[in-house]
Amino acid sequence: MNPGLENLETSMYYLMFAAYLLSMFSYWVWAAFKSELMGKLATALAIVGFAANTAAIVVRILIVQRPPLTNGYEFLVTFCWGILAVYLFAEFRYRLKALGVFVLPVAFLLLAYIAMKMGPEERVAQAIPPALKSQWLTFHVITAILAYGAFAVAFGLGLMYLLKHKFELLKKSDGLMTRFPALDTLDELAYRVVGFAFPLLSLCIITGAIWANYAWGTYWSWDPKETWSLITWLIYAGYLHARLMYGWKGKRAAWMAVFGFAAVLFTFFGVNYFLPGLHTYA
Amino acid sequence: MSTQEKSLTDKIWEVFSSMKLGLALLGIIALASAIGTFIPQISLEPEKAKTVGALWQTLGFTDLYAAWWFHLLLGLLGVNLVICSLQRFQGIYAKTFHQKAARTLTELPGQARAELKGNSVRLAQVITETLVQKHYHLVRDEWETGWSFTAVKHRWGYWGSLITHISFVILLAGALVGTLLGFKGYFMAGAGSTVPLKQIELSRGKVSQTFNVKINSAEDRMLANGERDNWYTDLSILEGDKEVARQTLSVNHPFTYEGVTFYQASFAHGAALTADIKGQKIPVVLQDQGGNFFQAPGTDLYLVVAAMKNDVQNPVILYQVYQGYGFKLVQSGQLKKGESVMINDAYQVTLDGYSGFTGLQVKEDPGVSLIWLGSLLLLIGLMLSFYWRPVVISGIYNGGETGGKLVLGASGKSKSLLAEEFGQFTDKLKNSAAN
Repeated sequence: MNPGLENLETSMYYLMFAAYLLSMFSYWVWAAFKSELMGKLATALAIVGFAANTAAIVVRILIVQRPPLTNGYEFLVTFCWGILAVYLFAEFRYRLKALGVFVLPVAFLLLAYIAMKMGPEERVAQAIPPALKSQWLTFHVITAILAYGAFAVAFGLGLMYLLKHKFELLKKSDGLMTRFPALDTLDELAYRVVGFAFPLLSLCIITGAIWANYAWGTYWSWDPKETWSLITWLIYAGYLHARLMYGWKGKRAAWMAVFGFAAVLFTFFGVNYFLPGLHTYA
Repeated sequence: MSTQEKSLTDKIWEVFSSMKLGLALLGIIALASAIGTFIPQISLEPEKAKTVGALWQTLGFTDLYAAWWFHLLLGLLGVNLVICSLQRFQGIYAKTFHQKAARTLTELPGQARAELKGNSVRLAQVITETLVQKHYHLVRDEWETGWSFTAVKHRWGYWGSLITHISFVILLAGALVGTLLGFKGYFMAGAGSTVPLKQIELSRGKVSQTFNVKINSAEDRMLANGERDNWYTDLSILEGDKEVARQTLSVNHPFTYEGVTFYQASFAHGAALTADIKGQKIPVVLQDQGGNFFQAPGTDLYLVVAAMKNDVQNPVILYQVYQGYGFKLVQSGQLKKGESVMINDAYQVTLDGYSGFTGLQVKEDPGVSLIWLGSLLLLIGLMLSFYWRPVVISGIYNGGETGGKLVLGASGKSKSLLAEEFGQFTDKLKNSAAN
């Protein structure tokens, strides 16, 4: 192990942590006071955080000589990377700065969870059990991260929709709400993001099944993690069907996007900390 | 009578072809699956599962994913998917291969509309050029006073949903084949021992294969930095006494012989001993911490290895001998490598050294290929559904050579793609009409 690299990784972790925290506050100040300067600062900080996040992952790869996806710490840091990657793409592609108000807190809370709940022994690079030594690991976790990142963004869009909808009902034209895109746009974007993520989640489950078949000799064992990923999949499948066939748009679709992300979080946290199973590493 | 029967069949068909049933089933299956993660399952926590209320156990909640009603739910979903797919097949086929040009304004797709005037020949030419260049599939129709067209881009996207639904049925079929045929079992054996496949402990199915498995060696290999590399088992397949295959396997690197796959699942340490019973030498491999025992032929003595010293260079074991049905401890002691001891004056054992014990999961699952086929189709279907969305642009021109009116309509699942495609198309037409 190289202490220089380990120090660099720690520095990058704290830089990312600080940048996401400040970025989150800047998005909030921007939204509350309509300060363009704060808006620019918020995006800049998000980019700095994303760069540090990328660096932390690259350095971890250099230290452990394998994809950094084998324990809770590594997964969460990479999960944040996925959220920010999808978010920054959405901000630039669709000029959706207001989304940052809701998505940055998700990334920040995940990192705060690491800082508060994970001891140093959980964070250090560990030896991995033989079952994790597989090239399928990379495919499996990368698809999980992109899909989960996109679901986090859809969650943010769903929240924005619900808030704006509420305020429009009350006929309040609050400063923040004027910065949100139109309800229809929010709804359509959330649908598109879920449409992007759903095939990836399917791929994640399939690569997991292929890998499990190599490692455990069974492609599906109703392990709680598998089961909850299937439940998440079923919720989003329901979302897509209800939308296409029964025109479940707007409020109901927004609630489903929020609900679906709750299932995503439970698949990760709930299963690891409350339920028994084979999938105890992350 | 016959009309009544028909109406009943119709009714059943109607119920099974409804998407409401499908969605309700998805919801119930999701809910049931979730419940199964909170109630202890026999497969994961056998001891805890026994403490769950008797009623819940009877209803199958402690073995939920194998419960008859859970399988029934999956079966109903399968039937629903098959019927939905059958019903939609024709429409999708027609849309893809027998697209017709619109004849009346009501037939025009209605998500986006535009109107413009211009020269008939010029417009027709620009329409054909533009749409063909943009990879649209174009069909045209003509009559005395006008013409019409319908063009589809990404028309394979229509198949996405159908393929996805069929893939689900294939996955269910694969799981069913795996449950009905094949077997799943497990055995633990020490290096040097031979295990007849028919005698391994099974959790499902029945073994029809007659070959034996010989464990040549079992190793717990470490890397130079002290981390575990992997567990390795070198095994041979014996048909009678003849070796027909040999392979080293490790975690993540299984080995398949005649449809039976061996997976490295666990590993334990053990000791290799030689029992000398009145001059007859028998090799014995015993697992650490009493994982198995050796009963010398003609005795009621059970020899176990209770503990082993963690030093590969200087093997030392703590052995124990139990006797009779009461398993009474009659002898115990230490044994170093090369040392021998008399067991209850009946026979002598010598410690030859340490030996690995390998735990192998053994499985025959003819449904797996269906699972991979279903997975592949699922991905293709989803890709087509979400990344290859069809766009239809259609138009009807009425009026003479010049000054006639062209009405355009378009539709598509993706609003943004539709707006982009239709916007560019109408702009081009307007420009050409103005020139």
